[in-house]
Amino acid sequence: MNKILYPQSVDEKKYSDDHLGGLDVKYGLPRKVTFCTKCVISNQRPNSAVEYEHREDTKKATIVIDGGVCDACKAAEAKHKTDWALREKELVDLCNRYRSKNGSFDCIVSGSGGKDSFFQSHILKYKFGMHPLTVTWAPHIYTDWGWKNFQAWIHSGFDNYLYTPNGRVHRLLTRLAVDKLFHPFQAFMLGQKSYSPKMACLLNIPLIFYGENEAEYGNPTADMAAPTREWKYFTHGDQSKIYLSGVSLSDLREDFGLKECDLDPYMPADPQRVADSKVEVHYLGYYLKWHPQSCYYYAVENGGFQASPERTPGTYSKYNSIDDKIDDLHYYTTFIKFGIGRATYDAAQEIRSSDITREEGVALVKKFDGEYPSRFADELFRYLSVDEKEMPQASKMFEKPVMDKEYFARLADNFRSPHLWRKVGGEWKLRHTSWQQD
Amino acid sequence: MRPNVVVVDYGLGNLLSVTMGLEHCGAEVELTSEPRKVEKADRLVLPGVGAFKDGMEGLRSRGLVEATKAFCDTGRPFLGICLGMQMMFGVGEEFGLHEGLNLLPGKVIPVPATGVDGTPHKVPHLGWSEISSPIGSTRIWGGTVLDGVAPKSAVYFVHSYFASVGNNSHLLAEADYDGHKLAAVVNKDNLYGCQFHPEKSGTVGLKMLDNFINRL
Amino acid sequence: MGNGSSAIPRGSRIDGAVRIYMPKTRLIARLDIKGPNLIKGIHLEGLRVMGDPQVYAQKYYAEGVDEIIYIDSVASLYGRNSLHDIISRAVRKVFIPITVGGGIRSVQDAAEMLRAGADKVAINTAAVHRPELITEIARRFGSQCVTLSIQAKANGRGGWEVYTENGREHSGLDVVEWAKRTQDLGAGEILLTSVDREGTQKGFDLDLLRAVGGVLNIPLVASGGMGTLQHMEEAIVATKTDAVAIASVLHYGKHSLSDIRAYALARGLNVREL
Repeated sequence: MNKILYPQSVDEKKYSDDHLGGLDVKYGLPRKVTFCTKCVISNQRPNSAVEYEHREDTKKATIVIDGGVCDACKAAEAKHKTDWALREKELVDLCNRYRSKNGSFDCIVSGSGGKDSFFQSHILKYKFGMHPLTVTWAPHIYTDWGWKNFQAWIHSGFDNYLYTPNGRVHRLLTRLAVDKLFHPFQAFMLGQKSYSPKMACLLNIPLIFYGENEAEYGNPTADMAAPTREWKYFTHGDQSKIYLSGVSLSDLREDFGLKECDLDPYMPADPQRVADSKVEVHYLGYYLKWHPQSCYYYAVENGGFQASPERTPGTYSKYNSIDDKIDDLHYYTTFIKFGIGRATYDAAQEIRSSDITREEGVALVKKFDGEYPSRFADELFRYLSVDEKEMPQASKMFEKPVMDKEYFARLADNFRSPHLWRKVGGEWKLRHTSWQQD
Repeated sequence: MRPNVVVVDYGLGNLLSVTMGLEHCGAEVELTSEPRKVEKADRLVLPGVGAFKDGMEGLRSRGLVEATKAFCDTGRPFLGICLGMQMMFGVGEEFGLHEGLNLLPGKVIPVPATGVDGTPHKVPHLGWSEISSPIGSTRIWGGTVLDGVAPKSAVYFVHSYFASVGNNSHLLAEADYDGHKLAAVVNKDNLYGCQFHPEKSGTVGLKMLDNFINRL
Repeated sequence: MGNGSSAIPRGSRIDGAVRIYMPKTRLIARLDIKGPNLIKGIHLEGLRVMGDPQVYAQKYYAEGVDEIIYIDSVASLYGRNSLHDIISRAVRKVFIPITVGGGIRSVQDAAEMLRAGADKVAINTAAVHRPELITEIARRFGSQCVTLSIQAKANGRGGWEVYTENGREHSGLDVVEWAKRTQDLGAGEILLTSVDREGTQKGFDLDLLRAVGGVLNIPLVASGGMGTLQHMEEAIVATKTDAVAIASVLHYGKHSLSDIRAYALARGLNVREL
C-alpha cells in the first residue's frame, strides 16, 4: 500500500458558487439535495453499509425520500398501525422456546450500559423471564459518565463480558479509518458487530437480541418485516474481499505488521460456525414498540442511569450515545461527509417519536449541527496519533504519524463533497439546509 | 345588569390581575385614567405596586388626586390595594417625605428589618400571612369587605412599607410579621384599604372582591 | 413559657408570651412549558409532553396551590418567550401569584410579561450574560418582581456550577457566589433548581439548599427532586427554604396538593391552612 500522505489543501474553485451544474459529487450520493418534510433528515443520509467491504471508492446507498417523506418516517408511521399485542405475543413465544430450564444464560444482549441496552436487558430479564448475558465491546475512550452508567448497569443485576481490544491496534485501525474513510467509528463498529455472534458460538447461547431494527432509520423496509438480522452484516465468507479501515487484510499484515491475533477481533464471525450453532439475531424493536426517550426514563427509573452532565457538541441531547469520547468526532465526520450532524440525527428521531415538532427540530439543527467538538479534541488527536516507538513499522506508513487539529481540518476538507459544500469568504457553508428549504 | 367598577390606571401596577379578579366576581370593569370617569364611578378601585412617591406623582400628573378625593366624598365604595391603600394616608416616608391623599390619618413607614427580638428577617414582607382582628378592637368584620372571611385566613402580601394608622378605629385587620403588627385592612365609612392583594389571595381574596362589588 | 395553651401555633416562636409569626412556607406548582404543552423531564432532559397547561394550572388552583411558576423551556432556542397567551389565560381563572421565566432578556421582555399578567419574572441565562439586567428590572418594577432562577449542577468538588439554557450550557460560575451576587444586584427571590435531582423524585439536594440559604436574606424557593411527602418535610425543616416547587409529583398525579398540604399541617409545618 502507498504511504498515507499529509492531506493536501483542497482546490477551492471546486467549492465556489459559480461552479453550479458542474459540481462533483462524492460517495455516489444523490446530486440533488432534498429534505424529508416530516423530519429533518436529508436524502444524503447513508444506510448502514457492509463495513467489511467499505473502501475509499465505495458508493453509498442512501435513504429514500419519496413523496416528501423519508423511509424512516414511513416506518415510524407504520409503527402506529402495528398490532403490538400480537408482536409481544411473538416475543413471548420466542422466549418460551429459548428460556433455559435450569436458569443458565439463554440469550445475549449486546450493549454498553446506555439507555437502550439497559432497557433491553432489564425487560428481558424482569418482564420476560429470560437470563440474559450481556456482552460489551469497549468504547475507544470512556466518558466518566459512560463508565458510571456501565457500572450501574452491571450492578442492577447483570453479568457482563467486556472485550477491550489491543489498545495500540485499535488506535491504529481507527486512525487508518479516519485517513482513508474519515470514519473514526468503523473499528468499533467492526468489533462490536461481530462480537456477539462470536460469543454466541463460543458459549453456545444462540439467541442474540439487538435493539432497534435499522429499518427504523431508513434501511430497506424489507428488513422490518422479519425480526432477524441479515447475515451479511456480521458474517463474511471470503477473506480476500475484506477491508478493515478501507485497507485490505494483506496490506494490514505486510505494510502495517499486524498479526492474526491483532486482526481477529475485527474479523467477521465465521459463517459456517454461526450456521452450525444456529445463531439467530432478533431485534427487540420488532417485538416491542421502540421509543428512545422512554428507554431513557426506564433506565433512570430502574437502574440509576444518568444523562451526561453536559450537552454533547453538535447536538442538544444529553441521553443519546454518551459513553465514548470518539462519538464527538464520529458525528462531526458525518456532518462533513453528508451534511448531517448529530443534532439532525437526534432531532429526526425525536420528531418521529412525536417528542418534538419539526419546527423545533429545525431550530435545534440550525443551532447545534456541525458544532466543532472542542471538548475532547486534544485528547482525541493524541489518541489518533501513531507513536513511532510503539508502532515503528506502522508509523512509517504515514507521512505525518502525529495527528493534530490542522491535520484533521485539512483531512476534513478533502472529504467535503462540492455538491454539499461551498466556501464563502473563507468559511465553509452547506449549500442546502432544512431551514432554508422552508 | 352587572355592577360597575372603575379601576384607576395611573401607570403603576398589575391591572390585568385586578381586572380579572373583579370580573370573575361579576363586575363590569372599566380601566381609566380620566378624572371625570373616576369621579363619577359607582365603585372605585385604586391598585398599585411601587414607590409611594411615584404613585402620587402618577396620580397628580393625570389630575387624579382631586378626582379620587371627590369620589371618596360621595360615600360610594372605594378600595385601595397595596400601594393604593398606602396612598390613602397623609404621608409616605419612602425616598423622602411625600404627601398622600390624606383620606385617613397616618403615615407610611418602612417594614422593620428585624423582628421584635432584634434578629434580622427578610424584607419585603412577602408571602401568605394570616390576618386577624386587632387585639382590643371592637370592630366586627360582618358588613364590611371582610364579611364571611374566617379569622386567621392567610392572604398574599408583598410590600416593604406599611401604614401606621393615626386612628386605631380605622384598623379592621392586621397581620403579624415576626412580632410586628402590620395594618392589613383599613376602613372608614365607605373607604377600604387592603395592604395585601385580594386578586392574588385565592378564594379568600375573591370573597373580599365579591363583597366589595355586591354587598357594600 | 406556660400560659396553659396547648400546641405552639405553626410558624410561631415564643418570645415571652408573644407569639411571633412568619409568612407561610409556600407550596408552589412548577410548570415547564414547550409550545402549547406542559412538559416534564429528568435532569431537564427527555422532555415528555404532559398536556394542556391550563388544565393543570386550574386543577392545582382548585386544590389550593399557593403559587404557580411557568418556565418556557424552549425560549432560549427560539430566542423569545412565548408564554404570553398561556399567562393571560391563566390569570382569568387562577387568582394566586404567578411567576414566568424562560428567555426574558430585557426590561422590555419583563414589562410584556408583567403586562400579560405575571407577578414576577424569573431570569437565568440573560442575567448570567449580563448581570446588570437584574438591577434594571428591579429598579423599574421593584425587586419583588425579580426572581433569579439558578440551575445548579454538582461540580464534583463539593460545590455547584450554574448552568444556563435550560441546563444545556456551562457558565463557570459558582452557585453560592452567584446567588449572593444577584441578591446584592437586586433580585427579590432565588428559585434554586438542582439539575442532578430534578425529575428523579429522589429528594431535594439539601446540601445545596443549605449552602445557598446560608448566604441569603431574600426568599429561597427549592426546586428539583421531590418524590415523597417526606422529601418536602426534610427540605423545609432541615434548610432555610421558604418555598418548595413541585413538578413531577403533581403532574404525574402521585400526590394531590390537598394531600401535600394536609401532610405538612399534620407535621406541624408553617403552611397556609385552607
